[in-house]
Amino acid sequence: MEHLELFFKSIFIDNMVFATFLGMCSYLAVSKKVTTAVGLGAAVIFVLAVTVPLNWLLDQYLLQEGALVWLDPKYGVDGSETLDLSFLSFIMFIATIATMVQLVEIVVEKFSPSLYNSLGIFLPLIAVNCAILGGSLFMQSREIPSLGLALTYGVGSGIGWFLAILAIAAIREKIRYSSVPPALRGLGITFIITGLMAIGFMSFGGMLTGGDEDTKEKTTEAASLIKLESSSESTDKQITTEIAEKEDTNVVAENIKETEN
Amino acid sequence: MSKRTDSNSYTMIFAIIMVLVVGSLLAFMASSLKPNIDENKRIEKQQNILYALGVNENEGTSANFISTDVAGAAFSEYITKQIEVQGGKEVENSDAYLIDIKKQQTLAKQGKQRRLPLFVGKNKNGDVLYVAPIRGKGLWDAIWGYVALDENMIVQGAYFDHKGETPGLGANIKQRYFMDDFIGEHLLDASGNFKGITVAKGNNDPKNNDKTDYEVDAIAGATITGDGVSAMIKSDLKLYVDYFKTLKQ
Amino acid sequence: MALLSKKDAKLITDPLTDNNPITIQVLGICSALAITAELQASIVMSVSVLFVLGLGNVVISLMRNIIPSKIRIIVQLIVVATLVIIVDLVLKAFAYELSKTLSVFVGLIITNCIIMGRFEAFALGNGPWKSFLDGIGNSLGYAVILIIVGFFRELLGSGTLLGIQVLGDPIEKTGLYSIGYENNGFMLLSPMALIVVGLIIWVQRSRNQALIEEN
Repeated sequence: MEHLELFFKSIFIDNMVFATFLGMCSYLAVSKKVTTAVGLGAAVIFVLAVTVPLNWLLDQYLLQEGALVWLDPKYGVDGSETLDLSFLSFIMFIATIATMVQLVEIVVEKFSPSLYNSLGIFLPLIAVNCAILGGSLFMQSREIPSLGLALTYGVGSGIGWFLAILAIAAIREKIRYSSVPPALRGLGITFIITGLMAIGFMSFGGMLTGGDEDTKEKTTEAASLIKLESSSESTDKQITTEIAEKEDTNVVAENIKETEN
Repeated sequence: MSKRTDSNSYTMIFAIIMVLVVGSLLAFMASSLKPNIDENKRIEKQQNILYALGVNENEGTSANFISTDVAGAAFSEYITKQIEVQGGKEVENSDAYLIDIKKQQTLAKQGKQRRLPLFVGKNKNGDVLYVAPIRGKGLWDAIWGYVALDENMIVQGAYFDHKGETPGLGANIKQRYFMDDFIGEHLLDASGNFKGITVAKGNNDPKNNDKTDYEVDAIAGATITGDGVSAMIKSDLKLYVDYFKTLKQ
Repeated sequence: MALLSKKDAKLITDPLTDNNPITIQVLGICSALAITAELQASIVMSVSVLFVLGLGNVVISLMRNIIPSKIRIIVQLIVVATLVIIVDLVLKAFAYELSKTLSVFVGLIITNCIIMGRFEAFALGNGPWKSFLDGIGNSLGYAVILIIVGFFRELLGSGTLLGIQVLGDPIEKTGLYSIGYENNGFMLLSPMALIVVGLIIWVQRSRNQALIEEN
């Protein structure tokens, strides 16, 4: 269940492009045609799906404070010589990502040379794409607890990014035939449209995903109030007086109580 | 590029040399600067705790710590006792302020016993206050802080800090106007149950005059960071409720 | 004798307008959105990028003949990361307060595509002095956009500039607030940064027709 929750959360609520604005450079530059956008988006999904779990393993067994406990218990969190290699995180994550991207480059060149040519410099630039590094860094700072969830998070984030670039590419293709002011044509209008789409995606932020203790308490309180209200009339009056008292309208409450009696 | 730089063996050798150079350079710098950095961090902790106690040089609307050279002396003067809370009992530890809260939270997550440091001190008026460290998650990275409480667990001072929140938004949890809002807020209800404090939006009390509503006005544009503050106050300060109960006995 | 030849001077002035890294080259967008809610942060970020890009360009330029082509992206990344981490460590040791302000930006600088983009486009193919100038020029171009966006976002979003209330006090209702003006909280959110940059592009291209894209 939490896989499903994390999956939808990373596509819509924590969307890499619209919520955290990562990966904007390639997003803006490669979204002129839907076909190239789809190609880059697919590559990003693949790279994220592979690097986030891989980096999770690295973080868990090498970088985290006390991660090297499997080598020798004294390096663990409660050991005598706790080792914290998290300062190497950046470099190790980047190394994993760059290697993966190199692999993707080789595969794409072999199986789809036309895609390889149209992506140009942006394929190797996936390595620098802040979305990819951001995916791994968020995985680390949000302390995603398991490998499976890391995979879900990676795939979800990738799909979120893919959705964003697909949407903007589709809009850009259509907008070529509208009368956009010349100075806004191309990049300018794309910025404004992306801004508007981001505002739209903010609406997803209101979705409650499971919720914590607080919201559960509030919902059960509200539910019990509603239950009580739907019961007999006399208790109805009682409830309204209780609520009135709470709102400090003591005089009114006393009046109602008196009329009941 | 010459042909030489394209060969695989050259690439391998270059990569290995680069890794060694970078690795040793960073390791050398990190270890030689470590004593300075650790000392700076230690003094900062003292300044933060003193700030929560009200021992600071606040002017106008800006939050200022007392300076680094007097921090050590002030710390010994205003902090009378440092303890660790276990069950309802206390164990003295004069270095309790150096306990790494992040580590303790990791231990707690693994189901192991964690340490709960508490700093007993007095503010400039001589009132006895208890400062507790708290730690949590903001939008981008960790957030932490110190909350000074009196024996009724009413907040008398608060300091918050963050690792990587957005400047102008989440980063404003460090601003006077946010931290000062917590002063006077109650954590316990009339029966002594822990309620915590929520950083709430749509608050009808922007000047925070109501101190028993368990709410503090949120920062516009910093919802998730604000939620992080509420969460860390709730989860960490709750751990000290039993100890405060013994104080009343 | 002029300090800089005409060609060299162009390396600095071009990125300020016609070859602006953000509005023309489409680089460095992420940071332009993330930290411009506050004018002071925009300035600090610009100075940091100036330092890292200037120095980084020189280092890469000096290394350009020995970097293996297969791993050049990784090498560039590692150079930037190492530079930034060293600066961070030195600041932490000797200017702790300043390092706390900058720690927020460390991650953003390392992944800033302007730095990688200029390494690829310029430093790999030119000498150190020219690369240094190119780095300075692009950082200044980046700074111009960041400061404009930061200025409007902070002014319209919080009513302050560099942390100082300039339109009056919103809680006490003085100054502009007394006639009913309210801060536009929306400006503090990142989507507005996108729209502001879009408007800047509009202004820029209206002034220089040559930059208008063909349909």
